[in-house]
Amino acid sequence: MNAYLFIDLVVAGLVTGGIYAVVALGLNLQYGLMRIMNIAHGEFLMLGAYLTYTMVRLTGLSPLWFIAPMMLVLFLLGLLLHRLIFRRLAETSPNAEAMEARSLIVGFGLMFIAQNAAQLTWGGGMSGQPYLDQAVHFGEVTVAANRLLVLVVVAAASLALVLVLKRTLLGKAVRGMLQAPLGAMLVGIDTRTLHPACFGLGLALAGLAGGLLSMVYELTPAMGEPYTISALIVITLGGLGNIPGAIAGAVLLGLVETFGMYYTSPSLKILISYGVLVGVLLLRPKGLFAR
Amino acid sequence: MKQDNVFLVAAALATLLLAALPALDAPFVQSLALSCLMYAGLAVSWSLFSGPTRYLSLATSAFFGLGAYCTAVGLAHLPWPLVVIAGGLAATLFAFLIGLVVLKLRGAYFAVITYGLGELVKHTITHVEKTWSGTVGRVMTETPSSNVVYWSVLLIALLAVVTYVRFGASRYGHALRGIGIDEERAATLGVNPMRVKLAGFCLSAWFAGALGAAMAVRWTYIDPNTVFNPFIVFQTVLISMVGGPLTVGGPLLGALVFSLLSEFLRLSLPYLYMILLGVLLIVSVLYLPDGIAGHDWRAMCTRVARRWFKAAPAVEPPHE
Repeated sequence: MNAYLFIDLVVAGLVTGGIYAVVALGLNLQYGLMRIMNIAHGEFLMLGAYLTYTMVRLTGLSPLWFIAPMMLVLFLLGLLLHRLIFRRLAETSPNAEAMEARSLIVGFGLMFIAQNAAQLTWGGGMSGQPYLDQAVHFGEVTVAANRLLVLVVVAAASLALVLVLKRTLLGKAVRGMLQAPLGAMLVGIDTRTLHPACFGLGLALAGLAGGLLSMVYELTPAMGEPYTISALIVITLGGLGNIPGAIAGAVLLGLVETFGMYYTSPSLKILISYGVLVGVLLLRPKGLFAR
Repeated sequence: MKQDNVFLVAAALATLLLAALPALDAPFVQSLALSCLMYAGLAVSWSLFSGPTRYLSLATSAFFGLGAYCTAVGLAHLPWPLVVIAGGLAATLFAFLIGLVVLKLRGAYFAVITYGLGELVKHTITHVEKTWSGTVGRVMTETPSSNVVYWSVLLIALLAVVTYVRFGASRYGHALRGIGIDEERAATLGVNPMRVKLAGFCLSAWFAGALGAAMAVRWTYIDPNTVFNPFIVFQTVLISMVGGPLTVGGPLLGALVFSLLSEFLRLSLPYLYMILLGVLLIVSVLYLPDGIAGHDWRAMCTRVARRWFKAAPAVEPPHE
């Protein structure tokens, strides 16, 4: 195998894996902390992408200006959704399994609403505006500038999140809630504030991934679904609530998909993803890194 | 017991009435009744397993699609009743094979894996057809008349209702409810959870497969995206959850309401209809966790009335 081709594939796999990592970290926080199986997670990625696209269309500025405000909008949307739906759901669910199943159905409801609202607002066709799509050369290796940008931003975002979780008191509180929800409440961690905040953060991270993707790919109202599936695979691979595990799982899945598609055929991408999902759930339902 | 028998007699009478519908020669009403009966059958058979056990199965689309593909392949070689039965059996076989492993998972994992397996089957069939058969869809010639399809679906729906009631009253039905309340406790009391769950799952799959096999000829041309459409399972789950999966009347009521709603809204306002479905799904999960039929309306009325009467004296100031 040609070494340059190999590097190309590795870069492509890392870009995909990085996006998966950002999407999956949000879902992992929501599921790990609140047992919210948010099947509509990819829809917030789609909303982030369309919001960025619309702002760029309206103003003609670089999409990078709108990423942070758009993340704030999604964060606030997350607070609102938590207040309206998930708080009551958590209060009325008798146990964690009921919470998971009921939040899954709520997620399907949110998915219907978001996808069809997007269809009504932006139409069903593809839309997009490539940004920074010129090539950057490193010796013999050529990479599109926007993919490089995506890679840098997702790596920075994942690293920042890991550092916040590992190094700050706030992060310690979140890790405490992940390990022992009741214990966390007993030692005075304010779950009533932190739960909505973490839910909103998950949406903001999905939005970040969407905003970045809007520079590279074309947008459709259903674009989020494959990312939800990938995020589910990643958190299963990495283990529930395991943040470094999720990042490793995301990179692994990105590479497996890219190389798998290259050696078989692009039409098999979905087949490979679902195959990996089913395989992991059956063989290692507690994650690859579980002891 | 006695109540069940009264219900079954009522169901049989309703079936007789519905069976006479083609005599009216009203194609629109008949097609409306057909889609209502299809969802009634799907929702009742889904509730048969997922209602008492609280295992949220999202494999209905896969069962339905497998049944439809059986018809596409077998219609030219087998008589119609055998085609429908074989479609159901294909779904049962699939349910048995996946059930052996997926029924060990619980909660959201079970829901996700049944959905994933359905998508896996859909994409596998698409790939196989593209690579080896050199086609994406299949055309069916020589389909039975629409009256025959209607009576078949009616019969399957009736069978589903009878099975729901009879199975629910049997030892297996009690065991399934026990598993739904507390699986470990049920196992301690002598229930073999795996065997009971597998029986319920396979039984419920047969109806979805048979309905898929019977409905397939309505399209004349089928491809994996039509018959494995995830919308089928979403609508089924929605109907059962809103109606109330712990009663047989709930899914029937839900099927009636939603087929009328979808018939009148889906064609004129398709996106708005889907948004409405989403809102209803969320509202029903939040406020009617046991569905319309399972909800304790009397307690709710008492609560509302008590609040109202308590508030009443405060409104009228005492005059003395």
